[in-house]
Amino acid sequence: MDNKFLKTFTTKARKRPEFGVLVGFLIVFIGFSFAAERFLTFDSIAGIITVAAELGIVTAGITFLMIAGEFDLSVGSVLGASGMICAITATAGIPHIVGLLLALGAAAIIGLLNGVLVVHTGVPSFIITLGSQMLWRGVILAVTGGFPVRYWGDSALLFALNGRFAGQLRMSAFWFIAIVVLLTFALTRTRYGNWVFATGGGPQAAKALGIQINKVKVVNFVISAVLAGLAGCIQFARFRSIDPTRGQGLELEAIAAAVIGGTLMTGGYGSIIGAMLGALLVGMVRSGLVMAGAPSYWYQAFIGIVLIVASVVNIRLRRWALR
Amino acid sequence: MSRDDLLVRMEGISKRFGTVQALKNVDFDVKRQEVMGLVGDNGAGKSTLIKILTGVYKPDEGKIYFEGREVSFNSPKEARDLGIEAVYQDLALIPLMSITRNFFLGRELVRKVGPLNLLEQRKMDETATKVLRDIGVKVRSPDEPVAILSGGERQSVAIGRAIHFGAKLLVLDEPTAALSIKESQKVLDFVLEAKERGLSIIFITHNIYHVYSVADRFTILEHGRKVAEFAKGDVSAEEIIEIIRSGHQEAVREKEKG
Repeated sequence: MDNKFLKTFTTKARKRPEFGVLVGFLIVFIGFSFAAERFLTFDSIAGIITVAAELGIVTAGITFLMIAGEFDLSVGSVLGASGMICAITATAGIPHIVGLLLALGAAAIIGLLNGVLVVHTGVPSFIITLGSQMLWRGVILAVTGGFPVRYWGDSALLFALNGRFAGQLRMSAFWFIAIVVLLTFALTRTRYGNWVFATGGGPQAAKALGIQINKVKVVNFVISAVLAGLAGCIQFARFRSIDPTRGQGLELEAIAAAVIGGTLMTGGYGSIIGAMLGALLVGMVRSGLVMAGAPSYWYQAFIGIVLIVASVVNIRLRRWALR
Repeated sequence: MSRDDLLVRMEGISKRFGTVQALKNVDFDVKRQEVMGLVGDNGAGKSTLIKILTGVYKPDEGKIYFEGREVSFNSPKEARDLGIEAVYQDLALIPLMSITRNFFLGRELVRKVGPLNLLEQRKMDETATKVLRDIGVKVRSPDEPVAILSGGERQSVAIGRAIHFGAKLLVLDEPTAALSIKESQKVLDFVLEAKERGLSIIFITHNIYHVYSVADRFTILEHGRKVAEFAKGDVSAEEIIEIIRSGHQEAVREKEKG
């Protein structure tokens, strides 16, 4: 009877997009537990969560967009721009809440521009958001003259965004969880979520059934950008300093985490829980390698391997599930 | 024949794309609870005619009457709202989504909680399973992705969906193309089942033998014109094929008179 339970459980589990990343996560976790001495301590786990939360908030947004069949390479620049807006407004003595709202508003506008350009020109989002990435990075560099902006003050808002509340554990963990829960709920339990899957999985069929796929895409571009902006503000709250290259390369890490988490590059399939596990896996590899004594240069190489293995495994799993 | 019998009447439909005259002065009608076979070679104008009827294109000339009233569609949605439902083999369903989600796509059952539209998942699962079982489609589980279904099963889900949502006219574009013999037979059975339930069906195909077994009447198009129209009793499948092959409209008319 136990055996039968196990069987139905695995049959059900393997059909979920998160199955591969969950197994991968556990393997890497157990591996590091043996390979790195201080890996299984509260502070080490908290450190991983801190890194994973910031990456994960961006990943969750990009996953939501990828399921609708589009891409966003501008999230790194959006994160940098929003963080910079927080830093500049804070040093100028503007209330932090105003700075936060300005930063999120700017992110929303960038997302809106990305989305409107993609749906109205028909140029692939890969190209539009690559241009957007370069444009806004250039603006940040031009405005700051290439120098970091540092802020020495503090506030309750900065604590709420990313303060330390227990050892190394930071508030960003709550934001991360809240966003994962919210987006998962939206995707699986609401009508809009159904439209997101349909927009990415079969735009022609969705359109024929009266779904406004362009609207869905634009909304998701905005969500992706706003979450990248929020991650930027959260990073500002952690470092109290934003340098002009902040967030560079993050878009690829986020896409990698999304794909590791079982989301399809081609749209129509994916999971925010998977994205969360993907981000945690990436964060774990980053901390774990250092703790295991490997030079930090190896981090990127290792992530590359994880990405390739995960993609191959995910494709196999999906074929298996569709039998 | 009284006009009340007619569900759809298209009169003098013409459509031009640039220099190509896709349709020229075509009359076409479908009775209530009738299977109309729309046949003709590639480029005969079948798809154009159907796209005009389903609101994808607007005709340059001509009128469309649905249930006796003149109608004009600005979008496929307007046609669908009146009960004209097109089922395209590749475009009807989204493979990676579940049967239930496909079944209710764009017409989800929701419970409003504040600004949220929450899916009534269980109710939708139950309804989809029941409707499909009633028309004879067996699904293992409504949360299985459509990708695991065979081509014939997908067609049946799409047809079942149309029946459930109150379609009056079903337009099937090459529903048996690329299906095995067994699968084709299943789809043909669903066509008859839909008719039994009071729907009218337009069946577009190259496969005369498939359409011949289920259709009540045939309209044959050739180079954008209507070449002939027959009730099933007046023509054999071989004769239809001969007309399409030769494109001999005069010969056909003489034969009709004679």
